[in-house]
Amino acid sequence: MNLSVARAGRQGAAHPGSHPFSWGALRRHPAGNVLIIFTLVQAGCVLCSLLYPQQFRYVSPLNVQSMLRALPQLGIISLGVGVLMIAGEYDLSVGATFTLSALVTANGFNAGFPLAVAVPLGLLAGAGVGMANGLITLGAKIPSFIATLGMMMLLRGVILFSSGTQTRPFHPGAFCESVLTGSLGLVQASSLWLVAVAVAAWLLMECHSLGNHLYAAGGNREAATAIGVNVFRVKLVAFVVAGVLSAFSGLISTVRVSSVSPIQGQGLELQAIAACVIGGISLAGGRGSMVGVFLGSALLYTIQDVLLLLRAPGFYLDSFIGCIILVAATLNRIVQKEA
Amino acid sequence: MPLVELKGICKSFGRVAALDGIDFEIRPNEVVGLLGDNGAGKSTLVKILSGVVFPDRGTILQAGTPVRLASHADAEKLGIETIYQDIALVNSLSVYRNMFLAREETNLLGFLKRRSMKRKTMDILRGSVRISGIDSPDRLVGGLSGGQRQAVAIARAVHFRKKILLLDEPTSALSVRETENVLNYILQLKQDGVSCVFVTHNLHHAHRVCDRFVVLARGRKVTDVTKGVTSVEELTATLVKE
Repeated sequence: MNLSVARAGRQGAAHPGSHPFSWGALRRHPAGNVLIIFTLVQAGCVLCSLLYPQQFRYVSPLNVQSMLRALPQLGIISLGVGVLMIAGEYDLSVGATFTLSALVTANGFNAGFPLAVAVPLGLLAGAGVGMANGLITLGAKIPSFIATLGMMMLLRGVILFSSGTQTRPFHPGAFCESVLTGSLGLVQASSLWLVAVAVAAWLLMECHSLGNHLYAAGGNREAATAIGVNVFRVKLVAFVVAGVLSAFSGLISTVRVSSVSPIQGQGLELQAIAACVIGGISLAGGRGSMVGVFLGSALLYTIQDVLLLLRAPGFYLDSFIGCIILVAATLNRIVQKEA
Repeated sequence: MPLVELKGICKSFGRVAALDGIDFEIRPNEVVGLLGDNGAGKSTLVKILSGVVFPDRGTILQAGTPVRLASHADAEKLGIETIYQDIALVNSLSVYRNMFLAREETNLLGFLKRRSMKRKTMDILRGSVRISGIDSPDRLVGGLSGGQRQAVAIARAVHFRKKILLLDEPTSALSVRETENVLNYILQLKQDGVSCVFVTHNLHHAHRVCDRFVVLARGRKVTDVTKGVTSVEELTATLVKE
């Protein structure tokens, strides 16, 4: 028996296997807008730098190097936050986890434990915080925004209580330093780690069944549960991923500056969420891509860098980022409605 | 021999008896209409059949043997799937990702076999019931019409060899044309060996597709008749009287 259902079609027919490029299709992709904006910004910066090489040293090796070195701090955390946001939850404690795990590793090493113990301990601390966030949110059924806000304040208090406000030195040795933060010409080891994490995150979300479950849990929790996805377990995994990646980022950053400060990482949590929103992650969950998150953090850093090069006063940065977040969130909404 | 049989099912929520001694059976290759006004106990019965709610008293039998039906997994084992009114599909995911949600084809490490799933999705959608208008497995489900989404949800259940579909008000949010298509789909399912429980308020729709009508009122079964011996007017009268 033949059924013919009324044609819904606004979207054109695409034969399976063919990928026609159209601006419309690019704009509809969650990362489409940020890719366009990022390309334009980079092109603009490079152009200005070539036109005014003395006033605007964007293309200089020093600048490229410092950007590549600084980007992974936000980039790695944002990828973890992005995975969690796609799953429909937030984590405001990532900045505190960043600091906590760096402290655990540094203190452990300074107390005499070998790196092979101190480093995993730090990462485990991050996983533990993520697990705790997940269990509190899902078990007590409170919004993750609130649960992780509480966790953030709790952790910051614990950190200050146990470490005071003093910065401690941390010299893990040449091997660790070169693996995590070494450089070969312009190529920075930390950037390679960022790329590795980004690729892993992309593989997880786009190509793995767990990624499909994460999108479903964030996109329509009831539907996912009805069809048999274990939403509790899946979201818990996302919380742990966010925690571990914050810890990893903290580790890299702390090795880079050879010291650990109890007040480092403050404000990172909001920058990470900003990077995700700019990158096309939907605030409601279920939509977004890891490519977008990567580009979003790169864009944020580019703007920071440009403002520094222009010697603009500090507050310009926050206002600029604020504007971009508002524009990005609105654009995302429009794209969502059209899809 | 009925596929699934409920005997003497009782369920109360607090002091309210939602179901009071219900006998209900689903036979092979039939569409049985579950009718009744609001509060009659239809959704409680459907929830018991899908494992979401556990009865206080009574037995559940599958092909004559008593079984446990206390979770979604138990219902899956019995081959029961519920198609909800607000359809268990994720709007932000594509058709093929919804089709294989929680049943993805993966390799040893869990990575998706995307090409295979996309091909199978198009086969399913072009299969015995052709749903035109969905020309790519990458279409987002959110962009489909209500009838298409309903059809995808049903096609998914049928592909994964569910033997019994619980259709909870499947046509109430659909246009006239889409309703026609879904009703025809249900008739086709009967020929393919899938039984359906069709829960609805709309007695005309029920009369089109159901072989048997079970009317509930205030937690009790009032009528259990086959199509041949009753009419829409009679059913309406029974419903309104209770």
